[in-house]
Amino acid sequence: MLRVIKPKTARSKRALDAREPKEVEDPRTVIFVKGTHTGEVVNGVFKDLMALKRPHAVAFNKKNVIHPFDSATNSSTTSSSAAGSSTSIASLEFWAAKNDASMFVVGQTTKKRPNGMTFVRMFDGRVLDMIEVGVENYKAMADFKTPKSTPGNKPLLHFASELFDTHPRFIHLKSMLIDFFNGEEVDSISLIGLEHVISISLGPTPSTLNDATSMSLLPSTYSADSVQANPLAAVASASFIASSLPPTAATSLAMASASLPKVHIRAYTTKLLSSGVRVPRVELVPMGPALDLVLRRSQAPDADMLKLAMKRPKLKKTDVEKGLGKKRKNVEVDEMGDLRGRVHVGLQDLSKLKGRRMKGLQEERPGKKQRIEEDDGDDDMDDE
Amino acid sequence: MDVTSILDAQKAKQQNVTVEKETPLEIDAGHLMVSDLNPIDEESYNENLEDHLRALARDGTQALLAALFSLPTQKSADGPLAQLPARTYQLPRQKQLPKPKPPTKWERFAAAKGISHVKRDKKEWDEERQEWVNRWGKDGKNRRVEEQWLTEVKRNADTDHNPQLAARHERKERIAKNEKQHLANLARASGSSASGPSSRKAELEKSIATTRASTASMGKFDRKLDGEKKLRGVKRKFDPAERSVVDEQKSALKLIGSMDSDARKMRKAPRENEEGSVNARKAIRFASKGKGAASMAGGETRGKSSFAKGKKGGRR
Repeated sequence: MLRVIKPKTARSKRALDAREPKEVEDPRTVIFVKGTHTGEVVNGVFKDLMALKRPHAVAFNKKNVIHPFDSATNSSTTSSSAAGSSTSIASLEFWAAKNDASMFVVGQTTKKRPNGMTFVRMFDGRVLDMIEVGVENYKAMADFKTPKSTPGNKPLLHFASELFDTHPRFIHLKSMLIDFFNGEEVDSISLIGLEHVISISLGPTPSTLNDATSMSLLPSTYSADSVQANPLAAVASASFIASSLPPTAATSLAMASASLPKVHIRAYTTKLLSSGVRVPRVELVPMGPALDLVLRRSQAPDADMLKLAMKRPKLKKTDVEKGLGKKRKNVEVDEMGDLRGRVHVGLQDLSKLKGRRMKGLQEERPGKKQRIEEDDGDDDMDDE
Repeated sequence: MDVTSILDAQKAKQQNVTVEKETPLEIDAGHLMVSDLNPIDEESYNENLEDHLRALARDGTQALLAALFSLPTQKSADGPLAQLPARTYQLPRQKQLPKPKPPTKWERFAAAKGISHVKRDKKEWDEERQEWVNRWGKDGKNRRVEEQWLTEVKRNADTDHNPQLAARHERKERIAKNEKQHLANLARASGSSASGPSSRKAELEKSIATTRASTASMGKFDRKLDGEKKLRGVKRKFDPAERSVVDEQKSALKLIGSMDSDARKMRKAPRENEEGSVNARKAIRFASKGKGAASMAGGETRGKSSFAKGKKGGRR
């Protein structure tokens, strides 16, 4: 939809090259979009979240008619629909391409869904997944009369509840929130510069969730190790499983969604007190906004798109030497940092080993022995 | 000397900074993230929400800091930098992985010879002038000969020889050569299907063939030049005279099917007609003899009675 720009100046060429895909990516630029009706709470939340996300945040000034969860069925009734998807999705894709952004927060208040925010994540210019939440109990950053952290600092993240590892919706939410709050991807960090913590915790797990055996919602191949490697895989396939569940389990799933625990987001500045040992004792001072969220609708990522999105670049040789990558048998990195392998040879019968010919060491042939016996006293021997 | 009291004090201090939980906290130092997988304590939650959350966060942060402070550090101007390990938790990417570009001709040569890239600066030390001069750009060394007001010329030089123009010409040639090599690299990288000269030759032959047939008699009666190849026509293929009945049946049915289908209809949308009604447009056209509906509105009687048509019809 956007026209392809051919760069005419060196500066525009540099700007275009900066948008090329990289191996290690920049933090996601977030666009804050307001819907037709927002309200005081949503406006305040947007201001605070933008302050936490600076400089990788863009705020749209005007209100936009946007409903991300508009499904394609609505648009199929009209005979002339150029885009197969709804126009809201088309708008999101256009804004993402124009601003080189890959994440959206859409704010809207309706009677049915008051103070709603939708987090939308993009991959390759298309919508990957969405989560809608409702904000309750919002306390602004300005209401906390405490010192704030430096904008642009990388935050420490803290997730508290076992549901973030077991329940597919919360796994999805965890991935989305990490992507939102993450700063730059760095290899080393200054220990003095760890200024603030963003803590996301849930309410206590209601007993209904435990009985409905949330584990049954996840695929059988799920394991703790695979979570770290590809956490969203569980979410993506769980959505397929949900549609094919037997009626009893399906109703329990619906019941469970009504009684999901609330999500509490708090931000604190860290105060490092000197303890006797190397590790300082940390005390927290509440800093930033305090939000309580309620999970509403969500759209899980498409399995194929997710597979593409989770592709990693091939491990470089330096990383393999460091010890990353799959453990290969009989190959290891020694103390010097060299890659060493073992070659296994089978059992060798050394007697049958064929070395160099040395006449003196050769065994006498049986035929030769006979001739020696026959010719007694004959010293001249023919050569073999 | 009583060492036990000192040891106890040390142990107490250590206790201050350690965090004990039922399930140990999972720490992903690469993301600066700590995950507390213990179930939430209901009593503490219901009693005082903010204090409960703060205590939880404090414990998590303490564990995370303990892990971060135990990482190997590097000295730097801003203080010690902790070397973070690789990330365990994977996040989806924003854009697709970059496609590996094929190496350019120079890159291949350099890799083969083992030449590593040396980054050059814009400024160079000029021994003669004892100052830093630009290699290119404003007052650049590359334009020195063109811009200086006096250039020494050899005794046996041509009278027309203009050293300024010669230097400028050289510089432009260098730029053009670089541009040509760059374009060749791009063409190689984009993986053009045909190699340069052969594809150009094919293009030329194609255009010559079209030109030869673009005459009034479609190239049939034109005289051929020496060296021109004979024009190949398209050979028509006919099915053999004897075919199996099944094949014939299939092709006949296919033909009828395509005649019946809507695939090649020009007017796609069906007209909004009631069942069995006439085509109003055509009917009006026939009835009014091409004049239109307006002429039919009470105009017939007038025409027949008053204005008689004919050679000498009409008003006199």
